[in-house]
Amino acid sequence: MKTINTRFGEVEYDPSHVIHFPEGLVGLDQLKNFLVMPNTKQGPLFWIQSVDDPAFAFVVTDPTNFFLDYIVLPDENERQKLNIDENGSCFVLAIVSISQDKEISLNLSGPILYAPETKKGLQVILEDPRYDIRTPLPKIDKK
Amino acid sequence: MLVLTRKPGEGIIIGDNIVVKIIEMKSGGIRIGIDAPRDTKIYRQEVYDRIRQENIEAAAGWDMTDLDILSDKLAGRTLKK
Repeated sequence: MKTINTRFGEVEYDPSHVIHFPEGLVGLDQLKNFLVMPNTKQGPLFWIQSVDDPAFAFVVTDPTNFFLDYIVLPDENERQKLNIDENGSCFVLAIVSISQDKEISLNLSGPILYAPETKKGLQVILEDPRYDIRTPLPKIDKK
Repeated sequence: MLVLTRKPGEGIIIGDNIVVKIIEMKSGGIRIGIDAPRDTKIYRQEVYDRIRQENIEAAAGWDMTDLDILSDKLAGRTLKK
């Protein structure tokens, strides 16, 4: 076991559980290794903690929980970076942003592809005008 | 920064395997064609910059209390079970 000091306190982790981002995050290529931290609460949110720079932690969620038609599939080049073949499983995660008035939005323009078998992650950039870096959650109809 | 003047149809070569070609100039925009190896990442700069900035802000702008509050708010909100 190893430990890092984060802004949320000391975190002990098993190095074999680290998710490796071979290219880091976009514009933050020094952030190559993350821990998945379970939220203490029930719900769709959890956070990933950078091992390389403990100051960085991101809230993430499965965007398909909120946007049913949101599908991001890795292309051949991305599969190579994730070290999986065509049949390898790959999930998409969105980085959650929390505004000052505590509303959340999802970065659907820069999602993370995650391959659980190889424990590798990759942030990709979608140049699709439907997706924004701060996409608000769909409104729920109140009955 | 290296500054070069090129005409439509002309190009430049970067390194051994990247070719940038000026295709045409149309209504104030310049169309550029790029030939590069598949694993070369090419983005519009403003898109890249936005994602980079959003990454930085998303990492800084929250604490544990926020996460707790939002998790309560979102409980039962997900579409699939």
